[in-house]
Amino acid sequence: MTDERIDLSPLDPTVDAERFEAAVHSIGVSAAAQLARRRTRASVVGQLGLWWKPLLAAAAITGIISVGALLRFQASPVTELENVGIAEAIGMPDQLAEWVRSDEVPTVEELIVAMEGES
Amino acid sequence: MASDRGSDLPDALLVERARRGEAEAFEELVRRHYRAAYAVALAILGSAMDAEDVCQDAFVRAIERLDELRRPGRFAAWLLQIVRNRARNYHNYRRVRSAMPLDAVSTAGDDDTARATERSALRDELESALSDLSEIQREVVLLHDMEGWKHREIAKTLEISEGMSRQHLMVARRTLRERLGEGFLEEHSA
Repeated sequence: MTDERIDLSPLDPTVDAERFEAAVHSIGVSAAAQLARRRTRASVVGQLGLWWKPLLAAAAITGIISVGALLRFQASPVTELENVGIAEAIGMPDQLAEWVRSDEVPTVEELIVAMEGES
Repeated sequence: MASDRGSDLPDALLVERARRGEAEAFEELVRRHYRAAYAVALAILGSAMDAEDVCQDAFVRAIERLDELRRPGRFAAWLLQIVRNRARNYHNYRRVRSAMPLDAVSTAGDDDTARATERSALRDELESALSDLSEIQREVVLLHDMEGWKHREIAKTLEISEGMSRQHLMVARRTLRERLGEGFLEEHSA
């Protein structure tokens, strides 16, 4: 009968509970320094993890604001053409815009003609 | 391969916790896999005392190298490979252990001492019989008959086929029965 399990329990290291507990304890003692190092490392990484995301978010917001401000600053030189563009955008007749740019004061007749011409 | 004793947490979770330095998680891994580690060490070294030494050394080595374990769920197979390597190198160098020697912790009374002596004699007999087997036969029979592993688990860990595992077990059992005698086995199991 070779298919029956052989009782190898005398070799089982956990049968002697006291000896087994001593072995577990001994391993724990030997591993204590390494486990302590791991705890320290985990807490440092944990602290970094706590601050990492808010810091990254703050940096991203600052970056977006800075880029926006920079683009606006670069676009700020006002040109004559832009003024014309604005006048056109609000529907001001060309002749009126021309008078605004030139500081020339139109007569009433000229104003009427200009308004009628646009309509 | 996780034992059903102790915590129900899977190995992968215990490994993650041990990586963060949780001593309880590491201790649970030790309790869960000590017998398998011991079986492999004993299969290679043939001596219970040496197997205990190697087991302790291997577990300490495992916690030191735990970050190298890519698949935490395969902790058992990874640990047993460490045990195997340490056991094979054991005769080349004997690492000075900082751990307390196990011999010094026994506080058994007279009755316990008598039982321990009997157990020690049985253990010597079995160790002697196991020495007639090849290393892989010893690993298979110890993992199967002492640790209770299935052939599927043994095959996966030892990287052999299930058929080979069954074959090794059959030969190992037959050799042990011949060596020990049915009388010994019946008397012992009674």
